[in-house]
Order: sequence, then C-alpha cells, then structure tokens
Amino acid sequence: MKNKVVEVKNLVKNYGAKDVQTKALKGIDLVIYQNDFIAVMGPSGSGKTTLLNILSTIDKPSLGAVILDERDITRISNKELSKLRRDKIGFIFQDYNLLDTMTLEDNIALPLSLNGVSAKECMERTKELGSLFGLTDHLKKYPYQLSGGQKQRGAACRALITNPEIIFADEPTGALDSKSGRELLDCLKRINEEGRATILMVTHDSFSASYAKDVYILSDGMIKCRISRGAERKEFYDRIIDVQTSMGGDFLCE
Amino acid sequence: MRMMSLALMNFKNSFRNYLSLVISLSFTILIFFNFQNIIYSDGLAVLGAKNKEYTETVVQVISFVLVCFMFFFIWYSTNVFLTKRKKEIGIYVFMGLSNQKIGRLYAIETALTGVSALIFGIFSGVLTAGLFQMILFALSDIAVEISFQFRIKPVFITSGVYLAVYFIFVLKGYINIVRSSVLSMLLGTKQNEYVKQNVAILFVKAMAGTVVLGTGFYLAVRESGNGVNIMGNLFLAVVFVVIGVYLLFGGLIPFVFQGLAKNKAFLYGKERCLWVNSVVFRMKKNYRTYAMACILILCSVSALATGFAMKNRYENVKIFESVYTFQVLSSWPDLGEEVRGIIGENTEITYSAEIPIIALKEDTVAANENFGTYALVAYSDLKKLAENVGLAFDFQEPEQGQVVRASHLSLLSLITDSSHISVTIGGKVYQQTEEITVPYMGYLQDKVSFYVVNDEEFKDLVPLGQKLYTYNYRMEDLNVFETVREELRRFREDVISDYYMGIVSMDPSKDTLEWIKISYSLCIFMFMVFILASGSIMFMKLYNDSFEEKERFLVLRKIGMSHKVLQKSIAAELGAAYGLPFAVMAVSSYFSVHALELMMKADLRIINVVSVLTVSGIFLLCYILSVLTYQRNVGVSENSLL
Ligand SMILES: Nc1ncnc2c1ncn2[C@@H]1O[C@H](COP(=O)(O)OP(=O)(O)O)[C@@H](O)[C@H]1O
Ligand SMILES: [Mg+2]
Repeated sequence: MKNKVVEVKNLVKNYGAKDVQTKALKGIDLVIYQNDFIAVMGPSGSGKTTLLNILSTIDKPSLGAVILDERDITRISNKELSKLRRDKIGFIFQDYNLLDTMTLEDNIALPLSLNGVSAKECMERTKELGSLFGLTDHLKKYPYQLSGGQKQRGAACRALITNPEIIFADEPTGALDSKSGRELLDCLKRINEEGRATILMVTHDSFSASYAKDVYILSDGMIKCRISRGAERKEFYDRIIDVQTSMGGDFLCE
Repeated sequence: MRMMSLALMNFKNSFRNYLSLVISLSFTILIFFNFQNIIYSDGLAVLGAKNKEYTETVVQVISFVLVCFMFFFIWYSTNVFLTKRKKEIGIYVFMGLSNQKIGRLYAIETALTGVSALIFGIFSGVLTAGLFQMILFALSDIAVEISFQFRIKPVFITSGVYLAVYFIFVLKGYINIVRSSVLSMLLGTKQNEYVKQNVAILFVKAMAGTVVLGTGFYLAVRESGNGVNIMGNLFLAVVFVVIGVYLLFGGLIPFVFQGLAKNKAFLYGKERCLWVNSVVFRMKKNYRTYAMACILILCSVSALATGFAMKNRYENVKIFESVYTFQVLSSWPDLGEEVRGIIGENTEITYSAEIPIIALKEDTVAANENFGTYALVAYSDLKKLAENVGLAFDFQEPEQGQVVRASHLSLLSLITDSSHISVTIGGKVYQQTEEITVPYMGYLQDKVSFYVVNDEEFKDLVPLGQKLYTYNYRMEDLNVFETVREELRRFREDVISDYYMGIVSMDPSKDTLEWIKISYSLCIFMFMVFILASGSIMFMKLYNDSFEEKERFLVLRKIGMSHKVLQKSIAAELGAAYGLPFAVMAVSSYFSVHALELMMKADLRIINVVSVLTVSGIFLLCYILSVLTYQRNVGVSENSLL
C-alpha cells in the first residue's frame, strides 16, 4: 500500500459576496499518493489555479479539508503554515519567479540555506540538481542571462532542493516554447520515475498532461474524470485527446 | 501650449511620487533661508558692528557649505526625475514627439517640481524664522528681543541661489534627453537590471578609493610647521576625503560584497543568501546616496566639533581678558604706589603685579610668523609675577640662546607644531624650546608676542628696544570700573605728562566676542541639520526601494519563506545600508576632528565620541523606522497574512 501524501475532501471555494458569487470549486475529492505524478487538466476558468492555491496553502477554501501530514492544513496557524510550506511543499510557477538579484545557483540554494542546512550540503545539492536538469554551465548566470526554459528548470531545482513531500506546479510550461517545455517535462518525469518527487501539475495543455501518470479532467469546478497512463506516453496522449474531444460541450467520461 | 498642459497633467499625476523629494528640497531651502535671514535680523544688529560683521562672515561660510549640499541634493533629485521620466517618456517617442519636445516636457515638469519646492520652502522658512532666531539666541545665551519681521532680501538671495543651481541641472537633463537615442530611452530602467559589476573596474576603484581616502586622512592630520600651506592642505584633504568616500562606496564596498557573494560557504548560512545578494544589487544603484549620507554626517560631526572648539577658545580668550582689570604701561619705573593708591581708594585690589618688559623695535625680530609686536620678559621677573597673581609656573629657565614663547590663544591658529622654531632677535638666532599659554601678561599677552629669556640675556638685550614697566591690577568691585578709569586717565594727563604712559582697561560689561557664541550655536544647528538631512536621505531612499522590492518578497513568500526569516533578512540588509555609511563616518571623523584639534588647539576627543554617539542614536531610530516601514511595504510585517 502506497503512502497517502495529500487527501482532499469535498473542497468548495466560492469567490465574492453572497449576491455575486462565483463558484470556482464545487466539491473536489482527490487523493495523492507518494510518487504520484498527477496532471489536473481543464479549460481556462475551470478552477485549476484556485485548486492549486488552496492545496499549496496560499488560499483558504470555503468548505472542505486538505489533509497533509495527518493535519488539516486549512485549519492550522499561520506560523505552522509557513513551516509546512517551507519543509513539505515545493512550488513551480508559470512565470518562473526566480529572484533577479542573485545567480541561478543562489536561487536554487536559497530555500535550503534559509532552512539552516550547512553551506557544504547546500552547494552539493545545488550542483547535483543542476546537473540533473542540465544547468551545470548556467549556475553562475543571473536570470536575465538565461532562456525561459533554463529559468523554469532552475525553478524546478529550487522546488526540489528541500526534498519536499509534494511539488505543486501551476502551468509550468505555459510560458515556454514547445522544445523548452519538453525538456522541462522530461526532467520532471525522470525525477518522478526515479522515485524522488511527488508532483501535482496543473495545465490546460494535453501534451504536457501526457507526461503525468494520471490525468484528472477539471471542468466547471468539478473533476469530471480520471485517465491513467499505460506504458506508452504517445498512446496516453492520444487517449487524452480522445477524451477531450468526446467530452465536447458536455464533458462526460465514457 | 499643448506641451504645457501635458506637463501639468504629468506633474499632477505623479505629484505623490515626488512628494518626498519636494519636501526634502523645501527643507534645504528652509534651512538656507533661515541662515540668510539671520544676517538681516534686528537681533544681530543689537550686538554691535563688530559682532555683526563676524557673524555675517560665519553665516556666509555656512551658507557656502549649504549651497554645496544643495548642489548635490538637486543633482540627485533631478537625476531621479530623469531616470523615472525617461522610461515613461519612451512612450512619447511612439506618439511621434521629437527629442526636443520630450526634453522640453521634462524641463517644464522638473521646473514645476522645483518651483513648488521653492514656494513651499520659502513659505515655511518665513513662518519659522522667528522661532529659529529665538532658539539661536537662547542657545547662544544672548538676551535679545525677537520680533517677527519680514525681510525681502533673504527671500531674493535664497530664491536666486536655488534657482540658479536648479536651472543648471534642468538644462543638463534637457541636453541629456535631446541627445539620447530612442533605444537607450526605452532601456532607461532596464540598464539597472545588470546586477554584478565588472570586478576589474571595481578593483581599480577600490584601490584608487583607498589611496585617495588615505591621502585625505594624512593631509588632514599632518603636523605642519609651516602655516602657509595648511589651509591649502586642509582644502585638499576635504576634496580627497569626499572623492575617497565616493570611491569607497562605488568600489571597495561592492567589491567586498561581491566577494562575499562568491564565497558560497559564507553565503549559504543564516539569511545571508538573501541579503548579501540584495546589498550587492542595491549598492550599484545606491552608492551615491550612501556616500552622500556618509559625508553629510561627517560634516555634522565636524560642525559640532568646530562649535565646541570655538566655545572652548572663547572661554580661553575670556580668561586672558579677565586676569587683570587694569594694565598700565609706562617708561617710568616707580608708578606702582600711585596707581595702587588710585584704585585702592575705590575698591579692594584682589592682586597686583609689576614687571618690566623690553618692547622690541619692529625690525629687530625675524620670526617664522609675523605677529607684529614683540616683547621680552626676564625669567625670574615672570616667576615672581606668577607667584603674586597665583598662576601656575612650571618651566625651566631658558639657557643662553634659548627662548620660551608666552603666546596667546587665537581663534584659529594655523600653526600646528610649535617646537623647533627659531627666532632671530637683533641678529642672533634663538631656539624656541617651549610654547606656553598661561595668561601671565593678561590681555597684553593676547596682543603682543612675549618671549621669556634668562635674566642675563634680558639685561643684554635692553638696547634693542625700549624698557617699559607694566603695572597690573585686578580689582574686587567691578561696579566702580568707570570711576577708576576716569581717575587713571586724569592722572595720566595731569601728573606725568613727561613720560609715556598707556592704560589697558578691560570693561567687564562689554563683550566683543558675542559672535563666537552665535557661531557656536550655528554650528550646533548645522550638526542637527546635517544629521537630519542624512537620516532622511537614507530613510527616503530605502522607503522608495521597498516598493521596488515588493514583487521579490511576494515570490519569496510564495515559495514558502516565513515572515520571520524575511524580517531578519530585511533587518540585516538595512543594517548594512545604515551601518556602512556610519562606520566610514566614524573612522573619518577621527581624522577630521583631529585636524580641528590641531588647528584650534583644543581637546575634542570627547566631542568626537559624543557626536558619533548622537549620530548613532539618530541613525538607530531611522533604522528602526526604516525596517518597520520596509517590512510593511513589502508585506512581511507581523500581522500581514501571506
Ligand atoms: N480572486 C478571485 N475573485 C473572484 N473570482 C475569482 C478569483 N480567482 C478566480 N476567480 C474565478 O474562479 C474561476 C476559476 O478561476 P481559476 O482557478 O483561475 O481558473 P483556471 O486557473 O483554471 O483558469 C473563474 O471563473 C475565475 O473568474
Ligand atoms: Mg490559471
């Protein structure tokens, strides 16, 4: 039996006041096990970012619970939250969010060094992750000297360096060209297959989604269906496309 | 005309952004106006012509310093406008405006800012003028009625100086825009994105800075036997220190911090990865500000030291004047009994002393410096006088060919080393072994240069001048001063018309040195003004920076950095921002104060420590305020959520 990392129970999120309410999430149930690679896919406005923000404790739900580390993280104090965010969760954003004031190397090492880990270990882990993501030659550069793909791979290293229990990625390929996007996804896939990361990725793009092990289709604030990968990524991709087209306006799984 | 309304619109929209700059410019104007206003105030006129004249000189010197300050400040603020504006102005290029027109737009906007600062500054200056004078005279311990008066002349002078300086920089900005290419305008802010600076250039700057600053320090405290060049040296020292401080912040300090950022073993500890990188990034943009703040507080400390040295001098000079109430000089050897009788009829005599001197003929003395009148006294005569009057006397009798100089204290002495000086008296060279400033000869010692020689030599030297007898008295009841003086004058006319007789009388009710007291207070004001200026410059700069940092801190919070860690990082970064100028100032102040010590022959070490402590207190306050506002502005204060 695999370990549960995150359990989402009946998550509801309403935006706005009573009269002009937007129901962004309408009751989401989801379990993430250790070493999962889940893609949450859905059209724009379907509630992907909202879901991710709640999971990553940046936002609070209107109803429901998110269990991480045997605690409901929607109900713990701010102080514990920041500790949780620091130790258990890694983030990858669409727009990289690297700090332009420091080198890529420092950006990657930052979370670990702020956690009080020894400088030696920080340097070693940075080097190791850097080479894993093909960044060895770029570590001394500043973000403005890097391409989008390099920046995003750097951001992935930064998310991984603290060995978080789960990584949340919000449209990580959204700002990349297809080649850079593939490079990043290859890296994420590899690191997941090596058993070193549990990943929840949000995307509107079926190609990106096909790199995951499981794809959940989100529509109108609800999970409409789940597709699991077989052996072949190509075949998986075709199935995702099939489901997408078959759902059309109605969005129903077969 | 369309230009004008466009500029007005821009000005109105961005007024809030400029408010801090407008306020600080106004503050500068306010101070300058208040200093100028003193010259034209009634209060000063009451003190008499001599005092007024000297105070005016002091005020003008201070005004000159303020103009320099104003110059840098306007330079700095017009630069802020320029870079801010250049970015937005890029948009106008696409609207089809020519460089000339954009330049004019900039000039009008900047002029509007400048003029509003002027109006605001003068207005508040006029309002505070009365208060300023009241505090000034109270601080100087001078009782003068202060009435509210409005004089137009200081308004004109202040406006004139300010507008002239401002015009130079508006013109400079205009030319800058007219000459720049569209591309570089669009990149106006992008250029700042480059974080690291070329190490080779930094290294050269660092070396140059160290050498220049070291030279400046050396020049400031060099003991110079020759008074001719010392003013020049001092001026050079100031120039070198200013340039050196700029190079230090532009070279050595970024060099060191870049080195620290490279050393990962150091960098990846505590919050250093965050704040050291941030300091490197900021230092490139802010080094001028830090250097200016540093120089301003250095000025501040020097101003206070100058003030105290002057006060100290004033008190010393007063001592010379108060040793004797009357000093009679005559070629007649036996006046003692009669003069004593005249004074004794009116009041008790506290003490008295008689001593012969040789007033040397003008062309018989050749000394390093020309003090005008020279006189000789014999060692044992002086010793007897010291016993009578009750003054300390602890130097050995000079040998043949030696002299001891009994000198006066001048307000500013340019000689910093008085040993190994030789004097030629009547063709013979004498070695000066010592210089003493005990006021044996009272007021006369302040006006005449006395040399103490041994008794033998004294007898031999009589032919070189005229032997005069001095009769010195200190009387008990100073209220009868006028009566006694009248009687002494009558005595001189009636009784001894055949002989020479001079009377020196020290009127206790007249003070010709009031101006020193005012200067002292002005120096304290300068001290406060400079500290406030540098504190507010630092605060403003960091306040503006915090808005630029907002996004970075949002990222940090998103990736899970706790508020506590970020708060610590901010505290460390701002600590460096305030600490570095402070540390450089603290070291430099030792040299500047030491230079003043040499020049004014005063012990100013305590003043040095006290003023540095005061600065540290005020900086600490600014630092705490900065940290709190910074934390709030970037959203990591205690009670902000994510
Ligand atoms: N802060 C907000 N306030 C009000 N409505 C919001 C807010 N954020 C998102 N929404 C709404 O919630 C729905 C889901 O948004 P989002 O999670 O951003 O979708 P996605 O990321 O899938 O594009 C949308 O209808 C959006 O308009
Ligand atoms: Mg989204």
